[in-house]
Amino acid sequence: MIDFSLTEEQKGLQENACGEGMKEKEVQRGPEPILKGIFTLPPYDKEGPRLIGALCARCTRKFFPPPFVCPYCLRVLEEVYLSTQGTLHSFTVVRVKAPFGLPLPYALGYVDLKDDGLRVLALIDPKRIDELEIGMDLQLCVEELGNDGTGNPSLRYLFSPKRKNLL
Amino acid sequence: MRSVSVVATGIIPFGKHLDQTLVQLGRQAALNALLDGGIKPSEVGIGFFANFLGAKTFGDFTIGQNVFWEVGINKIPVVNVENACTSGSSAFHMAWLSIASGQYDVAIVAGAEKMYVPGIGLINSGETQWDTRLGFVVPAGFAIRAKRHMHEYGTTAEQLACIAVKNRKHGSLNPIAQYKDPLTIADVLNSPMVCDPLTRLSCCPIGDGAAALILCASSRARRYTHNPVAIRSSVLVTGGYENPLSLLPWETDFRGCRLAYEKAGLGPEDIHVAECHDAFTIAEVLHYEALGFCPEGEGGRLAISGETSLGGKRPVNVSGGLLSKGHPLGATGVAQIIEIVLQLRGKAGARQVDRAKVGIAHCMGGDKDGDGKSCTVNILAV
Repeated sequence: MIDFSLTEEQKGLQENACGEGMKEKEVQRGPEPILKGIFTLPPYDKEGPRLIGALCARCTRKFFPPPFVCPYCLRVLEEVYLSTQGTLHSFTVVRVKAPFGLPLPYALGYVDLKDDGLRVLALIDPKRIDELEIGMDLQLCVEELGNDGTGNPSLRYLFSPKRKNLL
Repeated sequence: MRSVSVVATGIIPFGKHLDQTLVQLGRQAALNALLDGGIKPSEVGIGFFANFLGAKTFGDFTIGQNVFWEVGINKIPVVNVENACTSGSSAFHMAWLSIASGQYDVAIVAGAEKMYVPGIGLINSGETQWDTRLGFVVPAGFAIRAKRHMHEYGTTAEQLACIAVKNRKHGSLNPIAQYKDPLTIADVLNSPMVCDPLTRLSCCPIGDGAAALILCASSRARRYTHNPVAIRSSVLVTGGYENPLSLLPWETDFRGCRLAYEKAGLGPEDIHVAECHDAFTIAEVLHYEALGFCPEGEGGRLAISGETSLGGKRPVNVSGGLLSKGHPLGATGVAQIIEIVLQLRGKAGARQVDRAKVGIAHCMGGDKDGDGKSCTVNILAV
């Protein structure tokens, strides 16, 4: 399940917004996942990072991110880990007005996950933009990239080209 | 269902209206429509008002009641409609439905938007949505489709750019368009890159604007005008959000268009003039295919053929489109239908399409899981 509940920090900002206006953050914390419940991290998941999907046992459909219930039969879904390998279906490089403190330029694309039959939206490694080609093999990773909108650094999943940059 | 006609239109120039509020923009368009049809406020049975960003940018809400009260319309049901880029055309659909169902005889639709607001940023899927938080912005979604279209069908950057050139040329003939200076393909390609392969001039500009329409049961339409325009079909569909998503063809777009043709008993070959959602050059190419104006994958080649230019076989976005008018979101869907109404009434001035009898207005809006959240298609005829 995706957790849309506010972080402690966001709650603080909300309260401030009601009265005193936004305050400078008092305590800087370490980077946190931008969304809860959509990817795992080591050491909690020894094979992580991995994307967390959902499987409907009746429909045998997989989903990412995990929806509330199966949208086809309303059954409760089970969590499954998705492939860390994929191919690049298409992509773009965003060159203006990066949201959430993402680096400029940054890349976004759809990745076809190996064996899962899912096409997921993903950030693509901003350090490898010049190498990107439709159809190339990609590997999942999780990195500190951008922030959560309040300035606190965030961990985001991204896919990076598998072959080494030979240049 | 009863036949419904458009009997009056009202619009204000799209551009920068820094000194006007949303209500001031909306009321002027609504007043223009009432005056156009010689319709008394007391004759209007229901009102729909479209706006997308007012709650976010100004903290304004339930604006429609304010707008309609200013032009003497009160006590009747008023509904505020938000459906991203199709807010205006979704409001139109509801107005059509309210009359077609037999519940009301006359309905007003108005849409208004103010986008010249500091720090407005790029439109996203909604601030708390997972894809927004990941880093998704709307131009990226269209750019990803463009890249795939080029890969699968050999569509070129020049073919995409010629959409912006064409629509700007059309816009130069439309008094309400925001941008009228001519463009060349080189201008479009050399403007700063926003999301590869879409440059700044490949993306529609923002805008302030308002537009309004009055609809009436066709049986009563001649009370108000000698040239009513009949609504042959009005369709609103939402996305299927399937995974894996098919970027091409865009199922939601194709489904919306197919349904509108089916309900109208018409096909693409019957359409003389079209307005479609050219928020980005690639969007118009995709919509050519969904609207059946060319086979799948041929949109880029149709763009460069000249068929969709004024004077061509089937002109598209003769108003200048969103690319020249700007895209005041709440007003856009209404303004697109106004253009078709003007064309079918023979009142489009320098940009009039010869012998236009059947027109189609198409719009798409919103993003969820890579799919569109709404697609409206309205077919009108005289």
